[in-house]
Amino acid sequence: MSNIKLGVSLYSFTDEYVKGTFTLEDCIRTAAEFGAEGFELVGTQMLPSYPYVSDKVLNEFKAMTNHYGIEFVSYGANADRGLRSDRDLTEEELLQSSIIDLKTANKLGCKIMRAQYLIGPSVFAKLAPYAEAYGVKVGIEIHNPETPTSPNIQKFTEVIEKTGSPYLGFVTDFGTFATRPNKPHWDEALENGAPLELLEMAAQLRYDGVPMMEARQRLLETGANGAVMGAFQGMYGFVTFYNEPDYEGLKQIMPHVIHFHGKFHYIDENLEEASIPYDKILPIIQNSNFDGYIVSEYEDHLSGRALEMTKRHLQMERKILNK
Amino acid sequence: MAFSMKLPFVDVVCDESLKNTYVNGEKLGYEFQIRLSNYRGHFLSCIEEFVVTVDGQVVNSDDITFSLNEKEFTLRQLPSLISEFWNLSDPATISVFALGGLTEGEHHIDVKMMLRIPYMAVPGSKKEHDYAQLDSCGSKTLLVRD
Repeated sequence: MSNIKLGVSLYSFTDEYVKGTFTLEDCIRTAAEFGAEGFELVGTQMLPSYPYVSDKVLNEFKAMTNHYGIEFVSYGANADRGLRSDRDLTEEELLQSSIIDLKTANKLGCKIMRAQYLIGPSVFAKLAPYAEAYGVKVGIEIHNPETPTSPNIQKFTEVIEKTGSPYLGFVTDFGTFATRPNKPHWDEALENGAPLELLEMAAQLRYDGVPMMEARQRLLETGANGAVMGAFQGMYGFVTFYNEPDYEGLKQIMPHVIHFHGKFHYIDENLEEASIPYDKILPIIQNSNFDGYIVSEYEDHLSGRALEMTKRHLQMERKILNK
Repeated sequence: MAFSMKLPFVDVVCDESLKNTYVNGEKLGYEFQIRLSNYRGHFLSCIEEFVVTVDGQVVNSDDITFSLNEKEFTLRQLPSLISEFWNLSDPATISVFALGGLTEGEHHIDVKMMLRIPYMAVPGSKKEHDYAQLDSCGSKTLLVRD
């Protein structure tokens, strides 16, 4: 039996926060008003005393979570391997800074920490005893173009199975199951003068699994302009899509999934996401033993539609889950 | 060619922030504020290029300081500031040493600021320490205050 809780990643309110129309408190209050039981926060984005937690900041968070009745569920950590000007951080340095992140997550009362795959499998393995000591589960984010069973992710699955630690797992981003091109990118390309037939050709090349270099060549030969090529980059990158998403892979790794990022870019009035099949993904989670959160993660910041879209996202999830 | 991205959330050069600075009653320079235009903050060591041009003239980098987190840094210090974090919502103050300050009226401030994106390798690159860049450049014409 699954126990799915719905939350919001405050990252959804990036535009409002950066422009100053929303304070951190506005972000937390809005998540609570939309009915989120918990929230996630990206440290480098909204933790005022990053990468540490000062007493003042901690007390402010406590006051806000108490007042609005919402749980601080997950801390989004970053792996800034290129922090130094002269060289990459060593594995030892990445491990040490990840331990600092664990301390921060623990102090904030989070039970989950999102880690980026840049830390690498061996650092991930070495984090296990610290994650257990601080009582925070560490999840490697599976984000498009990675999938639950892509080679880069399999290396982490091996670590989880080898260590056998329940404190190591995955944070799976719904974007990895997209079946259609990203709608905001598509609309933007059209606005910037991309001919519709060339965008459709680009999408078809991706569906057909034509290698990127060959696809690029064929598009350029057909006369694709910059707007088409911009959308094409995304189609083969962070917003790629498939005829047959890796649902089987998701079922396989479900025992290791500790948290989900409910990625979305556009939800229409009928509560359907334009490119990500929530009606296929949510039942897989519902029929597993998953006990945790799906946090809404909006990613079309400059649209100015974050509030309306996030509200719709939660409504869509509740509708499909019968919650 | 370097691979870069730009996220135009905010104006880099802040409105109404330009003013002459006084020491011992004399105008000794001017200052203005800038924001990082991005979705997350960065450590100052990630600033790879920082050039200020005022009214078309490039300002000598040794006449510029960068103030943040209640500290004042020289531009030469920036590459080694691996634990000084620039929060997304905090403006930094750029101070320029210039005897006599700026003349009354409007001045065009241009800031070229390129940062290393420390988690995003250049797509397809096999080299170590080869990261995409964040373009947080901006310019604005501001009225100087005294």
